[in-house]
Amino acid sequence: MNTTLSVPLLLVACPLVFGTCVYFAKTATVRNALVACAAVATMAAGVIAAISGPLVVPGNGALALAALAAEAAAIITVIVVAIRIRSWSIGALGALQLALSGIGCMIERGQGFHAEAPAFVLDSLSTILVLVVSLVGPVIVLYAIGYMNKHHEHAHPGEGSDRRFFLLMVGFLGVMNGLVLANSLRWLGAFWEATTLCSFFLIGHTGTAEAKANAKRALLLNSVGGVALAGAAVGAARAGADSLSGIMAVKALAPMALLCVAAFTKSAQMPFQSWLLGAMVAPTPVSALLHSATMVKAGSYLVLRLAPAFSGQKLMFLVAIAGAFTFAVASTLAVGQSNAKKVLAYSTISNLGLIVACAGINTPLAYAAALMILSFHAVSKGLLFICIGTIEQFIRSRDIEDMGSIMFQLPVTTVIALTGMLSMLLPPFGMLLSKWMAIEAAIASPLILVLVIAGSALTVLFWAKWIGRIQTVSYHPAYRREQLPPTMLVTEIVLAAAVVILGVAAIPLYHRFIEPLALSAYAGVEVPEASLALLRAVKSSMVWPVFLFIGLAAAAIVIALMRFNEKHVRLPFLCGENCGELREGGTLSYSFRGMKDARDTAWSATLYFRSIIHEGAITRWCSLLALLILIAMFGEIGVI
Amino acid sequence: MNLVSNSPWIVHYNCNSCNGCDIEFVACLSPLYDVERFGALHVGNPKHADMLVVTGSVNHRNARVLRNVYEQMPSPKVVLAMGVCTSSGGVFAGCYNILGGIDTVIPVDVFVPGCPPRPEAMIDGVVKALAVLEDKRRGAETATPAKPALTFFPPAPPAQEAARQEAAHA
Amino acid sequence: MKEFITVIAALVAAPVLGGLLAGIDRKLTARLQGRVGPPVLQPFYDVVKLLHKEPLAVNRVQVSYVFLHLAFMLIVIVLLVTGRDLLMVLFAHAFSTIALILAGMSVRSPYSRIGSQRKIMQMLAYEPILVLLVVGVYLSTVNFLAATVVTTPRPLLLTMPLVFLAFLMAVAIKLEKSPFDVASSHHAHQELVKGITIEIAGPYLALVEITRFCEQAALFAVIAMFWAQNLFVGALLAIAAFVALILVDNCFARLTTFWMVRYMWTVPMLMALSNIIWLYA
Repeated sequence: MNTTLSVPLLLVACPLVFGTCVYFAKTATVRNALVACAAVATMAAGVIAAISGPLVVPGNGALALAALAAEAAAIITVIVVAIRIRSWSIGALGALQLALSGIGCMIERGQGFHAEAPAFVLDSLSTILVLVVSLVGPVIVLYAIGYMNKHHEHAHPGEGSDRRFFLLMVGFLGVMNGLVLANSLRWLGAFWEATTLCSFFLIGHTGTAEAKANAKRALLLNSVGGVALAGAAVGAARAGADSLSGIMAVKALAPMALLCVAAFTKSAQMPFQSWLLGAMVAPTPVSALLHSATMVKAGSYLVLRLAPAFSGQKLMFLVAIAGAFTFAVASTLAVGQSNAKKVLAYSTISNLGLIVACAGINTPLAYAAALMILSFHAVSKGLLFICIGTIEQFIRSRDIEDMGSIMFQLPVTTVIALTGMLSMLLPPFGMLLSKWMAIEAAIASPLILVLVIAGSALTVLFWAKWIGRIQTVSYHPAYRREQLPPTMLVTEIVLAAAVVILGVAAIPLYHRFIEPLALSAYAGVEVPEASLALLRAVKSSMVWPVFLFIGLAAAAIVIALMRFNEKHVRLPFLCGENCGELREGGTLSYSFRGMKDARDTAWSATLYFRSIIHEGAITRWCSLLALLILIAMFGEIGVI
Repeated sequence: MNLVSNSPWIVHYNCNSCNGCDIEFVACLSPLYDVERFGALHVGNPKHADMLVVTGSVNHRNARVLRNVYEQMPSPKVVLAMGVCTSSGGVFAGCYNILGGIDTVIPVDVFVPGCPPRPEAMIDGVVKALAVLEDKRRGAETATPAKPALTFFPPAPPAQEAARQEAAHA
Repeated sequence: MKEFITVIAALVAAPVLGGLLAGIDRKLTARLQGRVGPPVLQPFYDVVKLLHKEPLAVNRVQVSYVFLHLAFMLIVIVLLVTGRDLLMVLFAHAFSTIALILAGMSVRSPYSRIGSQRKIMQMLAYEPILVLLVVGVYLSTVNFLAATVVTTPRPLLLTMPLVFLAFLMAVAIKLEKSPFDVASSHHAHQELVKGITIEIAGPYLALVEITRFCEQAALFAVIAMFWAQNLFVGALLAIAAFVALILVDNCFARLTTFWMVRYMWTVPMLMALSNIIWLYA
């Protein structure tokens, strides 16, 4: 077992140092080169960390002091920011958090224990997160180089500088790695606040009034989480723990509930979901990196890490209800959206909800499902966001209904985006396996089960609608490749390849890593026999030959497409009133002759159920319900 | 072997008909005649059809529709012209807007005479067309059918008459 | 090896059985309407003919999805006969339908797109019932595997009669029977011509037809599973359901899409849910 500080230092410091260099780079060329170096270095650090294996860095006085300083610095920064944007509520929350941290320290001093628990832990669970952060993250950062270049053409005058943008993006990777590694609550708090600040500055990056307002809302809601975190530290200190492992050891319920609240804010669970939707005003690489692939996973990761210790507690049942509720409601709201980024945001919220629900169900099977969703979702959603970024820059619209012709304009990106969308629902991709496991795990409780089933059905609905709109294509004899900056195209292809490879390898990965990890997480915990039986059944059902047919279908498709002949192409049936013929090297005309021989184009919009799904009303009432669930959590542990 | 003639799916296009033939054709689907005995289905969609049943004469407006419907059918396909209008324009022949029979626009495989033809004649036409369909699948040459003999020669329309007289004067 | 033979046999038998059912369906419907009707083998004649037609298409995407439609349905058959996880069967079945929906959506034809959207609504209407069926099977057998349905001592029909009735309505939607035949129908309806499959022609349509046969076989196999202890009784059950569905088809006019969703989310859903709650209790 590795006990040195070198690996955490590498993971955290490497992006931070590079980020600082990027900030001071004079020219754009040097900056881009440095960003690329940072990306490669971070990836290397992630791989080294994964290979070097488990690691525990024991706490000591110096580290504890450093943690305290870092946390105080982060909170004070929040307060300074609050004063600058004249938000008294954020300032008050920051002050409260600072006070709570101080109280926590004093209790720790008073009880005479400190720095006994490990400061940083790299176990299998955090390795998964580290790999996600330091492999997917850098790819998105690389994508941002090309994206921001083009972004300037339409930039708002008040937009922040590029060097600050890349400092935050690259530096964030280090901070996020630190958050994942932290075991001591002080370090956790410090990195937690740092990610909140990164998110705040990046949301406000474009400098428009809307961006500033949304950044403020994100900071406010995440400050609530920060206060909960500081409160959890106080509670833990009173119970005699100063770290996550300590909380798990003493099974302290009150800190756990507060940590869940913090997790809900960071993972944008209901009733805190509104900040993530507002965060979509940020440039799309930000949404890809912070608001889908990595940062928002921190909350669900936290619940997942702590859950096994609280197996069988009513509190976890309520957590599961809260997560499943978010899953169902966010999927419903996604069905009614035609704004592409909002659909992705709701889909992210719903998937995070499913992870939280799985953590709450708290059986090895649910745990395994949560791990699968966590990793597959990060890659697929990162890919989808960057594809939407490209599409959005190209067609200058985020509306799904405007994406009818992108297959012709952006064939490569569109095919990649379709791959990403299909990976969210089709076998053999991992998301399907994990949804399946989640439903089977949810069978223990009818309420959670109904919510998870409803959410899954609605998920399929909005993806199918979107895919259907994108690929409503005219016949084109030939496609021209789009002209994209190489960083954008290459990163899209790399992530798409990752999605496909992970999809194909999902079953071996499950057998090799996920299942042993889930079982080891519940090593000393009593688990109902029925859930273990389900786990075994799932294992025996995961067999390859079934998916042979998809391979056969793929082969048949390839053959059919190779034999596809232009002379067999016909216009769609429009009652024989089609006008236009197959034009040389061009496109088919899809218009028809209507009244008085006037040309008209056949068009049918997608269903958005606007008469049923009122976003405002549903959000209001469901947030209220979610709040009640939160209150019930505290009622359950006897705080109120 | 009859590979394609056991299930003739029919698309029916009313070109410019007085609806007489159409009513008789729909009667073929009714329990009394039940053309589904031969596997025939009325599909209303050229993409699925093997047999195009046309009633009425062709005018300037519907000629392109007729051609489109015909082109959107996958081969092998046959065209069945029902009623006398489809061969010559029938009682409408000579009207200012009429181009003539449907064979001026698309190739016809079977003509069924009558104004309107009786359902028995129509079913007979369908069965004849099935043989043509099977021939076409084999890639064999199919003969162009003889048009029903015209028994009524309409007078030349006034406009053409005037033009003719004008030409004679010149 | 034995399993391999079973799978191959099922893959051959399913389309044959489904085709025969479709043929009997057409014959019975004709007799109910006072007609002679086509031969029982008519569906096979149709498929053979379609395979010999020109492979017309509107674009390449459409062609791809038709193959996926069939592939997922074959997966359903394989999973069912090898007694695998019923939830997985359900997923594969849903993806088969989604592939068809996407095939219908991929062409710029208003009829096709309307058909696809209605198919989505149909899925929304029946999919919860199917999931509740699977949940009911779990609660009755403490297992998700199709294989345990056969070995469990009590027939499913006795533990979940209400789910059975709800499932029959879901089957009526799946087989495009009136009053639920909104997405595509066997008759020439004015407002959507043929709906979802309108632009699929020739051999591709043959694949869709074969998939339909397989689906029909699979659905009636699931109905028979409600009395899997004695497959003779199970078969009788399936036949009774088959005849009942044809009767209903001929008695009803087609109704609107939203009526269908409202109906399915109230009457059958409540029936299934109350049955499930009873099983939990």
